[in-house]
Amino acid sequence: MTLLRWTTLAVMTTALLATLTTPAQATPWQQAPGADAEVEQADDAHDGHSDHSQHMDPPPFRVGPWSEADIANAESLPIQDGGRVKPLHTFASFTLLRYSGKRSVETAAGEKLSPVEWLLDTMFFADRSRDYPVFLVSNLKVLEAMGLDTEGLKPRDRYSFNTLAIDDQGTGINKLFELAREFGMIDPKQRTLVQDQLYSLAGSIDDYNYRLAGSALMLALVPPDTTDPAVDEWTTGNALFGLGMEGKELPAEHDQALRSIIGLSRSAGVADEFSAHLSTLNHTTVALAKARGEYESTELELGYYKAGWIAKSKILFLLGFLVTAILWLRPRNMIAYRLGWVLVAAATAALITAIVYRCVIRGRPPISTLYESVIFVTAFGATVGLVMEWINRQRIGLSAAAIVGVIGVYIASGYEILDKQDTMPSLVAVLDTNFWLATHVTCIAIGYSAGLLSALLGSIYLLGKITGRKKDDPTFYRNLTRMTYGVLAFSVIFSIVGTILGGIWANESWGRFWGWDPKENGALLIVLSQVLILHGRMGGYLREFGINIAAAFSGTVIAFSWWGVNLLGVGLHSYGFTSGISQALWSYYGFQWLLCAAGLYVLMREKRLKAAS
Amino acid sequence: MNTLLNKLLKPFGSIGLSCILLLFLSLLTWLGTLEQVHMGLFDVQKKYFESLFLVHWAGPIPVPLPGAYLVMCLLFANLFVGGVVRLRRKQANMGILVTHFGILFLLIAGFITLFFSQNGHVTLYEGEESDFYQSYYRSEIILHQDLGDEGVRQITVPEEQFLASEGATLRSDVLPFDIVVDEAMRNARPRQKGPMFTVDVPVVDGAFLQQLPPDESAERNRAALYVSLVNKVDGTRQQGILSTRSRAPWVVDVNGERWAIDLRKERYRLPFSIKLEDFTKDDHPGMGMARSFFSDVTVTEEGAPRQQTISMNEPLRDEGLVIYQTSWGPANARPGDRLFSTMEVVRNPADQYPLYACIIIAAGLVLHFSNRLTRYVRAEGKAA
Repeated sequence: MTLLRWTTLAVMTTALLATLTTPAQATPWQQAPGADAEVEQADDAHDGHSDHSQHMDPPPFRVGPWSEADIANAESLPIQDGGRVKPLHTFASFTLLRYSGKRSVETAAGEKLSPVEWLLDTMFFADRSRDYPVFLVSNLKVLEAMGLDTEGLKPRDRYSFNTLAIDDQGTGINKLFELAREFGMIDPKQRTLVQDQLYSLAGSIDDYNYRLAGSALMLALVPPDTTDPAVDEWTTGNALFGLGMEGKELPAEHDQALRSIIGLSRSAGVADEFSAHLSTLNHTTVALAKARGEYESTELELGYYKAGWIAKSKILFLLGFLVTAILWLRPRNMIAYRLGWVLVAAATAALITAIVYRCVIRGRPPISTLYESVIFVTAFGATVGLVMEWINRQRIGLSAAAIVGVIGVYIASGYEILDKQDTMPSLVAVLDTNFWLATHVTCIAIGYSAGLLSALLGSIYLLGKITGRKKDDPTFYRNLTRMTYGVLAFSVIFSIVGTILGGIWANESWGRFWGWDPKENGALLIVLSQVLILHGRMGGYLREFGINIAAAFSGTVIAFSWWGVNLLGVGLHSYGFTSGISQALWSYYGFQWLLCAAGLYVLMREKRLKAAS
Repeated sequence: MNTLLNKLLKPFGSIGLSCILLLFLSLLTWLGTLEQVHMGLFDVQKKYFESLFLVHWAGPIPVPLPGAYLVMCLLFANLFVGGVVRLRRKQANMGILVTHFGILFLLIAGFITLFFSQNGHVTLYEGEESDFYQSYYRSEIILHQDLGDEGVRQITVPEEQFLASEGATLRSDVLPFDIVVDEAMRNARPRQKGPMFTVDVPVVDGAFLQQLPPDESAERNRAALYVSLVNKVDGTRQQGILSTRSRAPWVVDVNGERWAIDLRKERYRLPFSIKLEDFTKDDHPGMGMARSFFSDVTVTEEGAPRQQTISMNEPLRDEGLVIYQTSWGPANARPGDRLFSTMEVVRNPADQYPLYACIIIAAGLVLHFSNRLTRYVRAEGKAA
């Protein structure tokens, strides 16, 4: 064994012993001096000299905020997680979102930390991080089940690791893990809400405490040292250390990466040295990832998230909505009209930019997840609204675009927080086909989008009639109905073609065109409801009022197909299951049905009045 | 004559009937979707979508409804008469006409699939070969007689003759016995009868059939029978158990003839043999989720072998059959374990019809609505 390898091994052993203390125990710089001294002696015995950093006495807590350079180097680190390579920025962001339900941490001292700052603290100042309130508990019964005193606590709040850990007297996380083991044996569909929340909290705490807290050794930060795409699994510092312990010679880049990862833990609190290790780790792993062609999309993804296209779009849509609201009161106000146009168009453009970014990053068509379906449907609906406005300039299309935009981006953000998962996940085998994602899924989403826009226009009609606005302007309502019908007809094309394309895809994948699976039935229900409206109009059963009532109702059919069937938890489309959205869904159903019922009442009243006169 | 024909056709082709049928189909689709939470897909399909009539239970209230099969037959007639025969031939209706043709074609594809398609699966461990595939749902009784140098005589009895007809007697001239179906169970497990418990079903050679509730996934149901063989010469009876879970057939000697009787999933012969050379499950890096899985197979047809890969979204098509990659196992396999691959085999004469229908419908819809859009934009332009 070469001197270099002995040196490497010795440094690794020392560092690992120092950093891999049991998670609930103290970090290296809090160990008793004697323990440190023993480690140093062992180190010296191996290589004849001691590493300089071992003589450092880094402070137990970070002094001052993280430097911009450190944050930049950390957030652009590539990491393999969830089956794909992504920037550490994305990893930190979604990990924090999963624990905490939001993307920032406010410490007791009032410091507001970004996800990357929080992750750096967790990995390198674990004791400090354990006091951060990051674990969201939405139900006091969860804390009660853990044996904790809930007196005076809020029903929904965030707690630190140390708050939940308490002690080993049968309360706190020991009890939590005991319960989680028990509930893990229960079919997830059969678990109660509290059981599910306890299980989920245990998962978060386990992940935090045993993977993240204390070092970066457990993260897959090191790419393979080959450009062979068949070797695609990245490795952790921990695994590299194991190889070193087995006497295997590490490639130079891996050796360098391991030294940096260990060096980070050892030098935390010594600003210059820590920054140097972080920078070296970044350069080493980025170079390896670039050689494999795995960094371009990582860089793009970092740019995408940092640019915050969807957040920008949300603000612009909101402003656009407020400005177009002025138009409802003063339709001839040209300043508001032009400003509304600019804001809604800019918001739509921002959303389309986000979609394009995501397509390039993933190398996929626009939609492969539920989240992406929301932003696509929103962008498409807003675009159709703007095109309508461009054609007839009646302020309705612009308003509809603004409403669709605001609701859509809020649903997207809400779903992201609810789902708490990476929105660019690895796909199951059946979805690994860009052809069908580009044809069937896109067609169906266009059908959803146009159908919902038509439902919105129908709802605007009904609201106008119910509230008695523009009573003396039948042209307004006639034009509105033509728009409702036109957009519905547009939706029919894509709903029918998309549904049949889905059948053809199913025939290619599962050997049958149609299997009456809930998702397939949902698509069929949309087609049937829309075709029914077209035929009802053609047969004279639905006139102006009826078309709008039916269109508003068909919005609930689309919502059922898009989201509702996912709640049933059955069928082959198991990759699209969702939970926790039933309240929002029922609110939408309730609102639309109420609107339809009220519309029907007004229609009957109008008929009675006409008959009487 | 024309008027009379028109009068006869009018009610069938009315748009009112279209609306009623579409409403019923929507209702049935909705109910059939919700019902899948409580019932297996197979049973829901039979009850709601492949029936003429059904009774839906809205809580304690029975609601009689037409089945989707009946509704779709009527819709076909309605569409043909009202949407094709009686549709006014004018330029504005061309798109609608084309669309209606496409939908009729799609419905025809559906009917052909319902009546003439056959599906099953072939499940092979790596290295295994098969020249048949078997049904997911249907069972058959199979009888073999060893004829020595003359080979083996084989008789099969389809499930219609025994599963739903307890007490039925199955007769064949070549058999030295009649088979009486004493009791038929759609889902049951043969068990050894122990001394510590009693059972209310017959115990045969120390074993009995434990009836199980029907599984929500119909393919998991395993049929079993109590049967009696009645000697045609002396009328003596022997009772036995047949089960699709049994590992060996029931062997009997009757009048000097030896017969092996078994109950198994119905089998269909393939026009070629298929051998699983290798099964690959390719996971996303660092996680257990498959990004693709595929079977490398050798297909031997008339003695000529050829290599094929069957993967998700890329089936094998040959001799009117389509073979799809469906699943794999064992689920708890560790690296290096021998794996099996399950491939679905479908024979469907209408396999590609939906694609043609889709093209026709899309063309019709685009033609119709682009006409309407052009007219709308022109009208708006004039108004402006």
